Amino acid sequence: MKHVLKLLSLLVVISALWIGLLQASIIPQSHTWLLPIYFVVSLGCYGLLMVGVGLMRFPTCPQEALLLQQDIAEAKDFLKQKGVDVGSD
Amino acid sequence: MELADRAVGFLLTFTSLSIFTYYTFWVIILPFVDSDNFIHNYFLPQEYAILIPVCAGVVLLSLLCIFIGFVLLKSKKKTA
Repeated sequence: MKHVLKLLSLLVVISALWIGLLQASIIPQSHTWLLPIYFVVSLGCYGLLMVGVGLMRFPTCPQEALLLQQDIAEAKDFLKQKGVDVGSD
Repeated sequence: MELADRAVGFLLTFTSLSIFTYYTFWVIILPFVDSDNFIHNYFLPQEYAILIPVCAGVVLLSLLCIFIGFVLLKSKKKTA
């Protein structure tokens, strides 16, 4: 419940700022009307950017993969000796 | 394979950056440019700058609701 309250208060603050900007007319009025949509689009863009960058820098650890395969083979041998059915090879 | 992952990641970053720059240009810089400049030929009329994100958001929300409804119906059919 507390997280929802935090988000709601953040939304209220942002909308208060936006209405204040509208009234004060520091930026031209046509720009101020478009600001919320612009921020939503840029937020979506930022999320997509983070996903893309994370995908590009994802480490694959080839040595660990090899060690893991060796561990799996070792475990399968051990279990087969003990008589447990390890399934398809 | 990591090359396919890298390609997809690069595509995503490129798409997001291009969308961001195009939209920033459209909304913020273009109103300050004279209306008979050649650059206006490359951008759609300003009304679309609001229409397209709103339409995309509505489509996304409806797809989300359809998906949730689908999952709920499927789970209800299984228990009933």
